[in-house]
Parts: sequence; structure tokens; C-alpha cells
Amino acid sequence: MNKKKDKKSDEFSPKNLAFSMRRVMAIALKTINQFRRDRRTLGLLFVVPMAIMLIFGLAFSGEVQNLPVLIDNQDTVFGMMIEENLANDTRVELTAGDYFEGVEQVEKGDYYAVILIPANFTQSILEIQAGNTTQANIYLYLDGTKPTIKGSLLGALRDALDETMGNTGISVVQELAFGGAEFSGLDVGIPAVIAFVLIFLLVIVGVITIIREKIQGTQDRLYATPLRSSERLLGYVIGLLLIAMIMIALVLIFGVFVFGAKVQGNVFLLIFAALLFGLAHVFLAVFLANFAQNELQAIQFAPLTAIPSMALGGMMVPTISLPVWLYPVSFVVPLTYGINLFEGIMLKGWGFAELWVDFLVVGAMCLIFFVLAIITVRNRMRD
Amino acid sequence: MLATEIEYAIETQDLVKIYKTGKVQAVNGLNLQIKKGEIYALIGANGSGKTTSINMISGALFPTSGTIKVLGHEIPRNRRLITNYIGLAPQDYSIYEDLSLEENVRFFSRLYGMSKGDFEPKFEELLKILRLEEKRKALVKNLSGGMKRRTSIACSLIHSPKIVFFDEATVGVDPVLRSFFWEYFRSLKDKGVTLVITSHVMDEAERADRIGLMRAGKLIAEGTPDELKQKHNAATIEEIFIELSEGEIIDE
Repeated sequence: MNKKKDKKSDEFSPKNLAFSMRRVMAIALKTINQFRRDRRTLGLLFVVPMAIMLIFGLAFSGEVQNLPVLIDNQDTVFGMMIEENLANDTRVELTAGDYFEGVEQVEKGDYYAVILIPANFTQSILEIQAGNTTQANIYLYLDGTKPTIKGSLLGALRDALDETMGNTGISVVQELAFGGAEFSGLDVGIPAVIAFVLIFLLVIVGVITIIREKIQGTQDRLYATPLRSSERLLGYVIGLLLIAMIMIALVLIFGVFVFGAKVQGNVFLLIFAALLFGLAHVFLAVFLANFAQNELQAIQFAPLTAIPSMALGGMMVPTISLPVWLYPVSFVVPLTYGINLFEGIMLKGWGFAELWVDFLVVGAMCLIFFVLAIITVRNRMRD
Repeated sequence: MLATEIEYAIETQDLVKIYKTGKVQAVNGLNLQIKKGEIYALIGANGSGKTTSINMISGALFPTSGTIKVLGHEIPRNRRLITNYIGLAPQDYSIYEDLSLEENVRFFSRLYGMSKGDFEPKFEELLKILRLEEKRKALVKNLSGGMKRRTSIACSLIHSPKIVFFDEATVGVDPVLRSFFWEYFRSLKDKGVTLVITSHVMDEAERADRIGLMRAGKLIAEGTPDELKQKHNAATIEEIFIELSEGEIIDE
């Protein structure tokens, strides 16, 4: 070093080689600064955790609640006591009615269960206590397609019986609705998975596909070709729906052959429902793409649409169990109708007759999102 | 459909573009007259309004005010009629990074309604001219900047347009290839194709038939390279540009 003190040795002196906290902080500061400039991301950082806690906290405040149940109580003393205990249970929402009409209403999805307490029930209990007989029956006709709901219904009835007279020789004669359909494993979740995959995949993939045209600059080039905005929209729709169909097929095949799921209803109706539901979300994606400038912002639509959907769309708890003021929100969450359709067809074997309202709502969603999409595809050129 | 006796390929009158976002006046009363079969170079610093002008003329952007006529047809009203006859290679590469070179060019050929039979020979011709034969199956994201630029040019020429817009087309293209390009541009011109080329590299423009110098969204000088040099008594176009900018620092 001391032999040559020229420029060259200065240039090659081993400086700036040690670990430098200054450089570490430069990176840290730069990262924070980038976030600071992206207001949307910044907002999301603060809003999303609170929103998630709020929504999940409210939606899952307890167990399943307010399940509509019909009771046909033909008995007097003990029957009255059981009915009263059940009425005080928050898990069920009790209505009095006729058993055979109730069975039909369970099949239509108006009630989750109908309970029949026969006229001789008190008599039978007294005879058990006298040792003359060993059994008294209560009849239950219930929706067995969802284990959580089935469990809550049976739990509520069992508790009501215990509180009334202790568990002495009363048997609950169960009959399951929808042709005895009973699901217990992962197969119950498959309809919800289909609905969720459609929302999640199509919104994210759709928004990113369109954002990429913007980022790559291909959008300007497309505008200078004879391509119509309607042709472009339809092209996106067909491409994205084909991808979605493959996904659904995979979920179904995997569900049926690996998890032993069953499709009780018409498979083609299921595919039609999935197409319609998917279509609405492709249009939604085209519309949402207007509000994102880059891929990061596109991905942010995922938690914004997925989390409220999961909590409020009946994916985890039935919408009826939501707090009273939150329940109406489930009517504007698209997933609610998706789950109604896919669960209805797959688990309950419903057809168009039972599901026409949900089909109508999803159809209307398609129309609304289509109008929003086509308006914004056109407008993008004008500014 | 196209009128036969039109002298100008492109005419604009008092063309103005004010971007909604930021209220920037990008183009401020542009009057252009570009003849058929002419190579016209629109030059100016970054931000002088070249790209905005080209996008409006090619129908990709709506003007705020003023009129545009392309091959005698009003733009944007007859935009879709004209799009079949124009090719645009935007400033960004504007091609699909995750598709192959061939898939990109084929995609654009389909938008122009070209059949497979029309596509193949034209594509082969372009590959040869643009020296891309080896790369036809390569994904665009694996290509060099210059190759992406050439792919973009291929996409804009596949349908044999009558007017071509090359927005900074020769950026990132090496000098040997660049002079080869100009040879090809001349051959297109000989076939009656009108070429509009933008550049912020001034010497590039000297190869054009006519030059329009743009500043702050307006033409500040126009003419053949020789005319301009004579009029301003300058040796290069760059000198003229600096003189006309009156020593102002041109902001990007």
C-alpha cells in the first residue's frame, strides 16, 4: 500500500466490504417508502386484518344458531315441557305445525327438521316409570346433508329431553331427508369448494389477464386492430370459463373417486350452474380490472372478495346462524347463491324446481356484471 | 370502400389531447399532412407528444378535440374500417411475453382475419427480413430487447398494412440491423406503404423523406432533411432541434 499511493490503489482499497447496517437500512427504508406510495396496499394493511377479525368474530360468535325447525306436538305434559325447553334453545328456531306438511317443507329446504311428539308420549313415559314398558318414541325427520347442522339439531333435542325427564328409555326415531342422504366426510365440503374455486380463480386470473394487457402495452395494440370490445370480452369469457371448467372437473373427479362424494342431482344441471356462476365472476373480474394498476393490486382483490364470501356466504356456518343484523348481508354475497345451487344439486338432489330463485339471482348477477364490464371495456379507450 | 383519389394518407387538424389523469396537455394543436408512400419521421424529446399523436391517429386513443383523417376516413368514427389497413408497433414491445414469437404473430394475424394460407408465406418473409428465423418457437420473455422489438414489428406488418406506425421502432436494435431495417422500410415505401416513424434519436430521422420536429405537443419545424438543414443553416438535425429549443432543458 505505501509503495504506490496512486489513484489505482485507492480504487481497489478494500472498503465497503464489511457488513453494513447502513445498507441494510437503505433497503428497509426503500421498502417502506414503496409501500407508502402505494396507498391502496397501505390501506389494505390496516383495514384487512380488522375486517377479517370483525367478520369472522361476528360470523363465528358461537355454534350453529337459529336453525328453523317445525314441531308437531300432539302430547300434553311431557311433550309441552320438551317443546318449551327446545324453544329456549338458541340452536333452533321453533315453529308449530303439522308433521306431514313439515316433511315436505324439509324436502323443499324451508326447515332443517320436523319433530313429532305423539299423543301417547306422556302415557308412555309414565308406563316406563311404572316398569310396564321400556320405550317411548319421538319422531324426527331431518336434513342430514351437513354434519354440523345435523349434530346441532340432535344435540338440541337431546338436551331438551335430558332437561325434561332425564335420559330414560326415550328413543328418537330418525329419518333423513333427501332420500336418506347423509354426508360426513370431506364430500360435504365439495359444493362449497366448487363455488369458492370459481370465485377465487376467476376473479384473480381474470383480473391479472386483463391487467397484463395494460402492463405489457398490448392493450394499445389491440385498440389499433379491428377487434371489437365485445369480441374481446367474449374471448376472455370463453378462455377463462374453459379453465374454470377444467378446475371443476378436477374437483369433482377427485371428490367422487378419492373422497367418495356423490352427486345426488343432475350432473348437467350442476355444470350449467357452475358455468352461470363462473360467467358472473368473469364479468366481475373484467370490471374489477379497472381498479387495479398492477398485478399486486390485482391479487389484493382476492382477500377483499374471498374473505367476506367465506364468512358470510354460508361456507362455514349456515347464513341463518349469522347475527340478525348481519344476516341480510348474506343476500348480497354471491357465494350464498353459489353454495345454495351446488349444495342443492349435489347433496340434496334438487333440480330447477327447487332452485329457480337461486338460478334467477345468479342470472341477474351475470347481467349486472356484464353491463359493468362492457361499459368499462369501452370506456377505457376514451380517457 | 376506400376513396381512390386521396393525396394524403394522414391529415390532422388542430389535434389536441388532454389526459384526464393529471390534466396534462400532451398534444396541443397538431397539424400534420403525410402523403401516401412517404416515410415521415416525427421526432422530439420524450414527452413531446409523439406517442400520444400516433396512438390517436391509429385509433387507439380518443382525441380531446380536432380532426383526424386516415386514408380519407375520419378517426375515431371510422376507426374499425381503417384498422385493417394500419399497423402499429407501440413504444413498449407490446407483445405477449408468455407466448412464443410465432404465437404472438399468429394471434395478431387472426385479429386481422388472415387465413392460415395467407399467414404462412407472409410470416416466413418477415422472419427472414427481421432475421428471426432461429427464434420462431422461442418464448418472447427469453428474447433480447432487440429481438422483442423485431417481433413487435413483425406483429405490425403481418397483415400487409398500407400505413405503418413505428413508435421508437429502432430502439435497442444494433446499427447493422438498423440500416438493414431502413432498406426494408424503403422497399415498403416503394410498394406504396406510408411509414410514420417516431424517434428521439435525431440522426435516425435524417433517413426519412420528411421530418416533423415536435415540442410541447406541437410541430415546431417540418420539411425534408435537406430543406431543414438549409433553412436553419445547420449541419445536423440535432443542431436545429437544439436551436429551436432555445437552450431550454427538455424535461422527460
